[in-house]
Amino acid sequence: MKVQLRPTGIIALRALPQSKMRTALRYVPPTTLIGAISYPLLHISDDRGETIYEKKTFKSKAESVIGLFKWVTIKTEGRPKLYGSLLKINTIYRGKVQSAVTSFPFAVFYGESTNSLTAAYFVDEDALSESTYSAKDLERAAWGITRLGSRESIVSVEDVKMGKAVFREANKVRTAYAFPFKGVNVHGKGTLQAVVDWRLGIGDYSNAKRMVMFYPEETVEVEGGLSIVELDGEVVILAP
Amino acid sequence: MVETAGNYGKHRRVPYLVEEDGKLKTVYVPAMSGESLAHAYQEHLVREALSAGLPVCDDCQRGEFYKSMDEVHFAPKLFNREEVFESVLANLSEVVDITISVLSSEIEKERNKKKQNEDKIKELEKFRGFMENLVKSEKPRDYILKNLSLASQVFGNYVIKKGILDLPPVKIEDIIVKSCVVEDVGGFLYTGSAPIRRSSAFQVSYALPVKSVALFATSEPQLHARHAQMDASSKKGNASEQMIYYVETGTALYGFTFNLDLDAIGVSAITSKPILDENEIKKRREASLKALFRMLSSSQFGAKLSRFFPVGGITELIVAVTDHPFVVTSPIYDDYIEKTQRRLKVLKSFGEESFLVVAGEEKVPEEALKEAIDYLHEKEAF
Repeated sequence: MKVQLRPTGIIALRALPQSKMRTALRYVPPTTLIGAISYPLLHISDDRGETIYEKKTFKSKAESVIGLFKWVTIKTEGRPKLYGSLLKINTIYRGKVQSAVTSFPFAVFYGESTNSLTAAYFVDEDALSESTYSAKDLERAAWGITRLGSRESIVSVEDVKMGKAVFREANKVRTAYAFPFKGVNVHGKGTLQAVVDWRLGIGDYSNAKRMVMFYPEETVEVEGGLSIVELDGEVVILAP
Repeated sequence: MVETAGNYGKHRRVPYLVEEDGKLKTVYVPAMSGESLAHAYQEHLVREALSAGLPVCDDCQRGEFYKSMDEVHFAPKLFNREEVFESVLANLSEVVDITISVLSSEIEKERNKKKQNEDKIKELEKFRGFMENLVKSEKPRDYILKNLSLASQVFGNYVIKKGILDLPPVKIEDIIVKSCVVEDVGGFLYTGSAPIRRSSAFQVSYALPVKSVALFATSEPQLHARHAQMDASSKKGNASEQMIYYVETGTALYGFTFNLDLDAIGVSAITSKPILDENEIKKRREASLKALFRMLSSSQFGAKLSRFFPVGGITELIVAVTDHPFVVTSPIYDDYIEKTQRRLKVLKSFGEESFLVVAGEEKVPEEALKEAIDYLHEKEAF
């Protein structure tokens, strides 16, 4: 499933662990893509749950839809700029004067270029057939993605394409989609970003295993023992 | 406004990226943050909720949207409504006894330290004294309400935090949602031992200059002077009250997106079940729509409205109503109306009804908003 998204100018994604000086991610991690589709998908089944409580542990409800996907990634057109001016905040709260210096940085997808984002969701057909959802539900959910990250990071879905993906092996490909940076040689520009490995669960980020993703600027040439999928004339590299 | 640095009040800005000769150039343009718009919306929501006779907590009524962010901010919600107080604190004397013993052992610990913290000991003794008086009081709820700040600290930091009261997340969410419309609609993040997250039912993007005219947006510091009277005895140049100051003002054609999920109002974010009866949910939905109408039609959002009220108004507005989540294309793009219309047609293939209204040359924004609200009324959303 290929989902074309238009940002409303900014996308605020907080890198964890948080502190007063929150750092922002420049590129959209896979966990955000899972969270983004889980909200409309759960909405379709009248599920308004956000947190699953199991004894003393608690995790995101988005965890319940992870199994539907084999892989998720994103193509970013244009190079987002991280921006967040330093702010000094003075408040008087309950008689006490408080002062703090902070910053709420975000990635700016705003300028002359299109700044389009294309998310690719690879659906596990077996998991989908065993779930309460249909392919039509997934497609409708994709049209219903409202944001990537915080409540200020609204996006609109401009196009959704569904199709059958064919997996194959390759030694050399060109891709514009983000891929795991492991056992590959890359020729071209891009950014490395550590992200949470969503396949192991997204309930708790504090101890979650990270993986390094390479986010290409335009397209890059990648060499290695690659598992790939051809998608609507484009190539997506999967995790090894 | 972002902040004041000395005598300079800064307007919020965001970078607009321009490509020139293959190189990226940054132009800073004025903007309004989603947080600022969200704050304004919630202030309107407070007024609409109160005028409809709906509950709003004390913090939110003051425009301090801390929400129930921790045990101390949550505690007043145990006392404000009699039925909650009666049910949750049915065994008040037992709760008080346990709390007093916890406080006594804390005092003892503090006193046994080599370096005694007198202020801490005094505070703990004050808490213990409050609890001792509470158990003697004939009308404990009245006594608590008279000493609400102190009660919130004792109950928040000890009774709730130490687990003296058994309050599972579902119960806490139930109490908060029933107590405050703003926390129901605007969400909250309770950071207790078991965190409770309720996402906001509304979302607001940044208000950014429309892309086609973004480079014409300006942000200018305006000079102002505050004058002071000097009498004959004053030395020249020594009148500290006399001051020049700058306020940055922005000029642009802004566009922003606002989403409101009416289905989320009054429904638990843990169990997915309604927390309120249908009648109250409908009242709250109506208040949330009226708040949006009021905010847009009155231009009561942004900063420094008392002396820098913006000249201008809404030039275009588009409203889409759908059964499941959908976002209109952002108005920062010139083709947003046409794109939204085409995208809504796709929803028909899912057997979904939708409603679209556009305000531009023929319709004023208020007429478009009213049509959308009337449509929702027909659909029995409220």
